[in-house]
Amino acid sequence: MKKDTILTVENLEISVKKNKIIKNISLSFYKNNVTAIMGPSGCGKTTLIRALNRMHDLDKSFKVKGSITFDTQNLLKSDPILVRQQIGMVFQRPNPFPNMSIYENVLAGYILNGIKLSKDEKDSIVDINLKKVGLYDEVSDNIHRKGSHLSGGQQQRLCIARTLAMKPKVLLLDEPTSALDPKATTRIENLINELKKEVSIIMVTHNIEQASRVSDYTAFLYLGDLIEYNTTETIFTVPKDKRTEEYLSRKYG
Amino acid sequence: MNPDKSNLKKRLLKNNVFYQSIKLFSYALLIPLAFILFYIIKNGISYLNLDFLIKMPAPVGETGGGALNAIIGSFLIVGLSGLIAVPLGILIGIFLAEFKEHKINDLTRLSIETLQGIPSIIYGIVAYVWFVMPFGKFSGISASIALALMMLPMVAKATEESMKMIPYTLKEASYALGANYYSTIKKVILPSCRKGIISGILIGISRILGETAPLLFTAFGNAFLNFNMAKPINALPLLIYNYASSPYQEWHQIAWSSSLFLIIIVLGLSIIAKNVIK
Ligand SMILES: Nc1ncnc2c1ncn2[C@@H]1O[C@H](COP(=O)(O)OP(=O)(O)OP(=O)(O)O)[C@@H](O)[C@H]1O
Ligand SMILES: [Mg+2]
Repeated sequence: MKKDTILTVENLEISVKKNKIIKNISLSFYKNNVTAIMGPSGCGKTTLIRALNRMHDLDKSFKVKGSITFDTQNLLKSDPILVRQQIGMVFQRPNPFPNMSIYENVLAGYILNGIKLSKDEKDSIVDINLKKVGLYDEVSDNIHRKGSHLSGGQQQRLCIARTLAMKPKVLLLDEPTSALDPKATTRIENLINELKKEVSIIMVTHNIEQASRVSDYTAFLYLGDLIEYNTTETIFTVPKDKRTEEYLSRKYG
Repeated sequence: MNPDKSNLKKRLLKNNVFYQSIKLFSYALLIPLAFILFYIIKNGISYLNLDFLIKMPAPVGETGGGALNAIIGSFLIVGLSGLIAVPLGILIGIFLAEFKEHKINDLTRLSIETLQGIPSIIYGIVAYVWFVMPFGKFSGISASIALALMMLPMVAKATEESMKMIPYTLKEASYALGANYYSTIKKVILPSCRKGIISGILIGISRILGETAPLLFTAFGNAFLNFNMAKPINALPLLIYNYASSPYQEWHQIAWSSSLFLIIIVLGLSIIAKNVIK
């Protein structure tokens, strides 16, 4: 079965002060699939995923070369603001805006971009997205309270809701559960499974079981090189490279 | 080596003496403060009534009267200072916190810190040279400018310090939603710093409210009720200064009440400032 690609990375090279962190990586991400990016600490997972929505623009010491094609455009040459509106990102630590209520946090993308909405539009965006992340019933009574009063897991789901509210085509998740307890982690994993119907998901994870539970494809990175990229099933059952095999059997972390 | 007992005792004793003297000195510090407060309250309370707030000073020889012109003058001068110092101070604070690599960042920080250390009378003289001499008259505006310069570093520092406390991840979160720099600062960073900035503003106001020296060269004082900031205008510290050094008993009274009034406001502002941070 041939899959539709959503993002195509070609000859991507990322360096910081002459230090190559990502070394000439090429791969395609597939539509409505979950792709896990794995590899030992410091191998460049975060660096790779942040290139996909131009977060490296924030730090001038990062140099990004190559191309990332999205909707026939090289997004490394597009307007970073437009890129980020279509490719959303959720971070390792939940970071709801402390000055905003839960309600405003969901709408933050609109507020920050100065997009005017009617009261009805706002209410419906908030309702839909809180329901999507399963937060609606938990917070509907105090939706106008500050988002920072929620538990870590709830905060992270609020951050996902905030990102989804912008209707992105791609959702980037950088170790979204590493700061959460097992129960909150399970909730987020289930959520990821649900969400892939509407958005393509690329997630960094350290957790081998998590990758096997939620991802359709897995990319294995090692010291800035893409060692292996295939369906998660193949990677986990018949890894081609010795380093992948060793990582999966936890020879190094 | 065995630590011998007498040595240990000696150290414990030293420790205790040190601890007790810290306590003693902190209590000792309260004595002058309590004394000042007591004295001002005792002398000022009797005239601090409604008349004080709504009446003009009584002519020499008559009892009663208030400090209306000075209260309004202080309010106008400090209000205009705030209008100048707050937006400028916040902008400078943002610059200090955000553009660390910029070539004049260090210079700006140095200027701000130097401004903080300059004796207040110098501000008065500078405002005199800049705004009183060219126009040939004392004015409330020149006083506001002198006081705004004093308040500026406090607002800038408070802004910078509270912006430094905001985690970088918040900024990233904002950018990741497609926000630009301006809306990130305006809608995420500054609102998250609100408490720190407000408390800095309140402390700044309470600081300039009691300043006398700069006003001598600028606002100068005015025996009449005046709302025109382009003219000489009275202020509480000026009234205290003039009345306390006058030979009239009734004027001394008004000076005491004005001192008490100022202290209450300054204390109130400090308490509010402390509580916003919490
Ligand atoms: N701002 C930076 N300046 C210099 N080097 C950096 C910077 N950020 C990351 N690096 C380096 O780039 C390499 C890859 O970092 P990255 O954060 O992408 O790794 P990672 O795979 O996400 O690791 P982890 O699993 O620990 O999150 C590391 O060797 C790191 O030291
Ligand atoms: Mg990482």
